[in-house]
Amino acid sequence: MKLKLAVSIGALLLSSPVLAEVTISGFASIVGGQVIEGSGVDEFDLPPTFLADYPLVGAYEEEISFKPDTLFGLQFSADLLDGLTATAQIVSRGADDFDVSFEWAYISYELNEHWTLQGGKKRLPLYYYSDFFDVGYAYPWIRPPADNYTWQIFNYTGVSALYNYLVGDWTLSGQFYYGSEDDEPNKLLSEFFFLEPTREIWNDIGGVVLQLNRDWLDIRVTHMQYTNERYIGDVQQVWDGSTDRKGKFYGLSVNIDYENFLLLTELNRLDLSGTDLDTYMVTLGYRFGDFMPYAGYADFNDGEGGEVHNTTSLGIRWDFHPSAALKLQYDDVEDNGGPGLKVAGDSKSVSFGVDLVF
Amino acid sequence: MKTLFCSILLSLMSLQAFAGIAVIVHPDNASSLDKKAISNIYLGKTKSFPGGGQAVPINLDSGLPMREDFDANVLGKSSSQLKSYWSQKVFTGKGTPPKEMANDDEVIKLVSSNPNIIGYIDSSKVNDSVKVAAEF
Repeated sequence: MKLKLAVSIGALLLSSPVLAEVTISGFASIVGGQVIEGSGVDEFDLPPTFLADYPLVGAYEEEISFKPDTLFGLQFSADLLDGLTATAQIVSRGADDFDVSFEWAYISYELNEHWTLQGGKKRLPLYYYSDFFDVGYAYPWIRPPADNYTWQIFNYTGVSALYNYLVGDWTLSGQFYYGSEDDEPNKLLSEFFFLEPTREIWNDIGGVVLQLNRDWLDIRVTHMQYTNERYIGDVQQVWDGSTDRKGKFYGLSVNIDYENFLLLTELNRLDLSGTDLDTYMVTLGYRFGDFMPYAGYADFNDGEGGEVHNTTSLGIRWDFHPSAALKLQYDDVEDNGGPGLKVAGDSKSVSFGVDLVF
Repeated sequence: MKTLFCSILLSLMSLQAFAGIAVIVHPDNASSLDKKAISNIYLGKTKSFPGGGQAVPINLDSGLPMREDFDANVLGKSSSQLKSYWSQKVFTGKGTPPKEMANDDEVIKLVSSNPNIIGYIDSSKVNDSVKVAAEF
């Protein structure tokens, strides 16, 4: 499906040069970093590690590395007239050994001024930064806070309806979406958690996003449900006598961008067949001309003695060029996971990099 | 000496103020536009003029002084804040930024030929082929 879709969009992009105006845009992040001090996890024989990007297993160790967060992305968008657009995004990531893959490919149809329909493969718009997670230029940090963005599934194939209304001084926007994802082998689960090829299936992913925006205030609420099936090795997992389990996700984000002051927050809960996985994060920033120092805290907790960790981050962003920003960030991770449920142990790390868009 | 310096400084400041921004539309476009309405159109929050009719904004190239003035004084954001804003929209398929033109003449040409287009230029360049909808 993935390949077929990519090929047909590729064909769309290549053919009929007279009809279609193709816009090429892109983004890149070149990031280096290392763990200065860390506990690792003895029971897994894990050396001092900072897991900066969960879904892609972007992990720093004590040697400096440019792989975990470095990426290049190209977007091709063909305007097929009368509101129809075909878009493909190709991303090459250090965490994937710079394999080039079609991350997204979708067709978009502008129904009217307020509604747009899209179909194809896209990023799952779960958290606030999920659907532009790769575009470092669009947010202050080196990467969105890792403790919140711990999801094994980040793309889906399906359909969505996007809306946008201006009501008085408020912009009301968001989307409804439905689809599924069958990921084999799933990188995070296979390489980091179970150390065996793991097939992760999310069926009947259905979600809604509602975003309210006015001058300096931005509020986003979201809800999503899915049905999970999993094979570790070739063995299908059984939870409470059933081969599938239901996940229900709730998210609230309130952001303030007032004059030079920036406050970013997220509060999320995943109810996974009765267990609550709670995450939240807060970041404060202040702009001094082209410089913006920021401080943040992010937290993950699925219950006493379970998976429990948090990160305190300090950093600075410098917009040294109209389309590029230089960033330097310090992260202090505290892993308070119970027996067998630590992720990567405590760590203190430094990372630095340049984000650009073109 | 000090007075001379001050007067030079003053004249520089007044020159700066003199080079105003004229937001222009087609002469047939009857819309009256305030800052809020203009920024809603330029930020892609609406695709129509307050009085009705499709609105297609066009920009000046980034890097031009008039563009920076417009971003800061009309939209109230720095160019890099706006770049961040648009990169979010572009790479999530939620919108595209206004097309960019190399100079005032190109903007005048487009605006004068299409009632849906809105642009902005140096107010001293305004001619009869366009209508000034607002001045800053």
